[in-house]
Amino acid sequence: MDQSLTKNEFIGHEEHAPAAKRSWLFTRPDHKTGLINWLTTVDHKRIGLLYGISALFFFLVGGAEALMIRLQLAVPNNDFMSAQTYNEMFTMHATTMIFLAVMPLSAAFFNYIMPLQIGARDVAFPRLNGFAYWLFLAGAIILNLGFFVKSGLPDMGWFGYAPLTSNAFSSEFAGDMSTDMWVMGIQVLGVSSIIGSLNFIVTIINMRAPGLTMMRLPVFTWMTLFTAFLIILSFPAITIALVEVMMDRNFGTSFFEVSGGGLPILWQHLFWVFGHPEVYILILPAMGIISEILPTFSRKPLFGYPIVVFSGAVIGLLGFGVWSHHMFTTGMGTVATAAFTLATMAIAVPTGVKIFNWIGTLWNGHLSMRTPMMFALGFVWMFMMGGFSGIMHAAAPADAQQQDSYFVVAHFHYVLIGGSIFALLAGIHYWFPLIFGRVVSEFWGKLSFWVIFAGFNITFFPLHFVGLNGMPRRTFTYDGNMGWNSINMIATIGAFILGIGIAVYFVVMVYTYFKGEKVKRDPWDARTLEWSIPNPPPHHNFDVTPKVHARDAFWYEKHHQKEIEAEKAKQAGDDEAHGGIHMPSNSWFPVITASGMLIGSLFFCNHNFIGAIGGIVIVFFGAWMWSVEGPGGYHLHITKEGSDDADAQH
Amino acid sequence: MSSSDSSDQPKRRFWHLLLVALIPIFSGGWLSGPQSTFDTKGPVAETQLDVFYVTLWVTVVIFAIVGSVLAYASIKFKARNAADEHAEPPPQGHGNPLIEIGLIVASILALVIISVPTLKAIWYTYEVPEELQDDAYEITAIGYQWWFKFEYPTEMVTQPFGGEAPLVTGNELVIPAGRPVKVNLRTVDVIHSFWVPKLAGKVDMMPNRGNHLWLQADEPGYFWGQCAEYCGESHARMRFRVIALAEDDFNAWLENQKSPARTVTAAADAQITTEFADYGTFVRNQPGWSHEFDADPFGNWTALQSPNVDEDPALIAAGRAAFTANRCAGCHTVRGHDGVGNIGPDLTRVGSRSTIAAGVLENNPKNLYRWITEPDRVKPGNFMYHTRIVSPIGMISMPGYTTRDKNTGERSPTDGDIEITPEEAHALVAYLHSLK
Repeated sequence: MDQSLTKNEFIGHEEHAPAAKRSWLFTRPDHKTGLINWLTTVDHKRIGLLYGISALFFFLVGGAEALMIRLQLAVPNNDFMSAQTYNEMFTMHATTMIFLAVMPLSAAFFNYIMPLQIGARDVAFPRLNGFAYWLFLAGAIILNLGFFVKSGLPDMGWFGYAPLTSNAFSSEFAGDMSTDMWVMGIQVLGVSSIIGSLNFIVTIINMRAPGLTMMRLPVFTWMTLFTAFLIILSFPAITIALVEVMMDRNFGTSFFEVSGGGLPILWQHLFWVFGHPEVYILILPAMGIISEILPTFSRKPLFGYPIVVFSGAVIGLLGFGVWSHHMFTTGMGTVATAAFTLATMAIAVPTGVKIFNWIGTLWNGHLSMRTPMMFALGFVWMFMMGGFSGIMHAAAPADAQQQDSYFVVAHFHYVLIGGSIFALLAGIHYWFPLIFGRVVSEFWGKLSFWVIFAGFNITFFPLHFVGLNGMPRRTFTYDGNMGWNSINMIATIGAFILGIGIAVYFVVMVYTYFKGEKVKRDPWDARTLEWSIPNPPPHHNFDVTPKVHARDAFWYEKHHQKEIEAEKAKQAGDDEAHGGIHMPSNSWFPVITASGMLIGSLFFCNHNFIGAIGGIVIVFFGAWMWSVEGPGGYHLHITKEGSDDADAQH
Repeated sequence: MSSSDSSDQPKRRFWHLLLVALIPIFSGGWLSGPQSTFDTKGPVAETQLDVFYVTLWVTVVIFAIVGSVLAYASIKFKARNAADEHAEPPPQGHGNPLIEIGLIVASILALVIISVPTLKAIWYTYEVPEELQDDAYEITAIGYQWWFKFEYPTEMVTQPFGGEAPLVTGNELVIPAGRPVKVNLRTVDVIHSFWVPKLAGKVDMMPNRGNHLWLQADEPGYFWGQCAEYCGESHARMRFRVIALAEDDFNAWLENQKSPARTVTAAADAQITTEFADYGTFVRNQPGWSHEFDADPFGNWTALQSPNVDEDPALIAAGRAAFTANRCAGCHTVRGHDGVGNIGPDLTRVGSRSTIAAGVLENNPKNLYRWITEPDRVKPGNFMYHTRIVSPIGMISMPGYTTRDKNTGERSPTDGDIEITPEEAHALVAYLHSLK
């Protein structure tokens, strides 16, 4: 690197910014370490870690709830827990797993990996990114507060079907605010998801490295983009529906209130217009992860890249046209039922295409059976099973028997555990060396995989049978004469095996973080740009803005080293000529604004409208200060490989 | 001795359970319960099962093909050792459009195979076929938290205070066998779902929406049904039965149902002769079924239609008095005796039903006693126990129900003022069982 350039000091602000005269209120908290840094961080990697750690925490909470449910159902007429507690548990298990575990875990990968894959130094709106995380945490707190207050947890199911959410049916006693907390919690999470998604869309469209055309994007980044679009298009539906429930409950409107002429069926349509795309919000990131892992460990490019990307888009698009297959038993009439049946079956085509292409990727490859690859192959098998049972209830007449039975429970756990969770666990294994510079032991990794795989199948495969044998979902107990006893006992044993597998997985991860074997850059011989940087990644990601020449950019770099080196030297000069590497400044206001949402929502749940207005005031204060403090930022200059040097701030 | 027993038993029980658990995998026992969707007893369930089989076979064949290719690829192309892993990378092929288009076309063909019978079945199962419509019998099922009311719109009954209204029963739907039955589905509170797996798939009971389904039992029989849409605290305890009767039996049953409640007259000076049985204490969630009943449910139901032989007229009279004194009639009706209440199930013929508490307990004296004395532990949250009730016109406060603990004498934690003593409960059991 040219020494004269690094000595050249650069003042990080535009000249008209009166940096010196600003009030202390606008001091940017650019700490490198400590609690303040975590609270005010705008670094996409740190935010990714925050998402990841929170999501894994809630994954364990949701898992504990699942084990409680299985304990209650282990034997018929069990009184391990009351009906009320059971109903709270299944409501919170689903809500937690969907909104607080799988979605934020996907968001963790979007945050951490996606900017690295496109050669960016951060997302487009770093402070907004922090805000999305703190809002997520606020929503999670609101949803789970029921563990600690008299109202208890929400108990009307994660789908919150009206009129169970109305005042008449969900208030056990005066001042019961569990349903309000559910409504406000989901609402805040929705705001967080939409904000995060807009950020990702802008980032992917605008901040790709030079040469990284759309059709060269890594598939995981493509799936991030589709997921983000699905979120911003589907969450408005649930937002509206939740506002209507909130109005019904607090201000006497009659959107769903039957006595006032409201239509509960309307809630179902609004909910599933959100709820079905939500399914793809949960699975598309997983498909993206798998589409990264399979090529890497097969040492081949993804088979049929354009068609995999296109089928992702088709799945996303068709996902908006099939919501009523959740409602085949609501008496929609023949034509609507037939239309939604055919549309649902059509989704099997692009999904099948993905599976064919994954197998095509394996074909003629050199498969190294490392732990991420094991999870990825497990994903393909389990997702296939979930897909096939999905076709079974796409056929409406068959679904009339399966809907709301344990058959459906088995189906979507194959898609969500065998699909989403397997892929996310694979992703953690895969990117762990990049994020922490250590690699998980093969023995323990594979052991946890096999225990999880066995436990999962022992739990959920038999549930298909008990569903077809007539056992409905969401029942806190059952009689011993229905022929359901043995399967329920097996499922409970399986659930605990699964729990042990997950426990092993986590213990191994924590151990590896502290004591695992250290690895050099690119331990897997991977293909995409995130592996081209040292591990753990430096704060500024790339010393030199990368230039992309082919679809698997890093693979190309590795096989054209001379050409790339010359190019990098030139690019480094260009970067410096632009003033060095521009980095965003930390800010207090995302966390302050989010705390206003938290405070306001909690007061609102408690029907304290003055307090709610107080919360809104904090939100406005935070947003106002946020906008007047300006974008901030500072520049870095690379002195030598692997170290950097901040200068001239604010 | 008891200690060695208790340490041995769980172990033996575990092996026993494991063995019992494994047998059904080979014998098909996992699919033969009273709510099995495979053991179909009517044309609607049969059609739905046929569609299921089509989807099953098509997907199993695809799974076998795709699965074996995937398994083959995973094994064949696996790197066997470190040298293998670091060998020259394989050719960097990007795909083959012909293969991909071929596979897309093949998947579409497979879906066409499924969709043709599916579409046919959608139309067939939705409405009673035209050629059978003249023969169809109509019934209205109404969901309540947490029980089912059944109305027979074509069978009018004279009401206590004049006028006529359809015949009403609760929790046990009696239908003619061999005839299509159109069931109108209504609800008074939240969404419920009507599901008798052996006869037909479910259709929801939606507020402010007039749904229906049709079903047919080919032969006389006794069928299990259950609410299939989560409807609140005791959703798991909202069950019902369907009894299909041959033409003559059905008409006889209807005749009996339409007449006012049966009265057992007691001489003025009659004394209560029955000794109260000690029913012991009941565990929460204690099951209410028995192998004796399940061995021949239809026969047992038939036996319940005729009066008990050992009736105690004096006790029955005391029960009838208790029924009135405790304001039971505020919610329940015994047509011809007392009450016009329609918030709880009609009790005019409750003694002839095979179950109580919405299919949860077999209808015997012990269970009925338990249901009357501790309803909350049988069906958590039910409105007989709680002091509030939700009806189509909003919240109604009701007198409320309380019980006193047998041992400690403490009142149950409700605000209610209706208190039923064990003696009254015994008398009520005798009275309700006399209503055949």
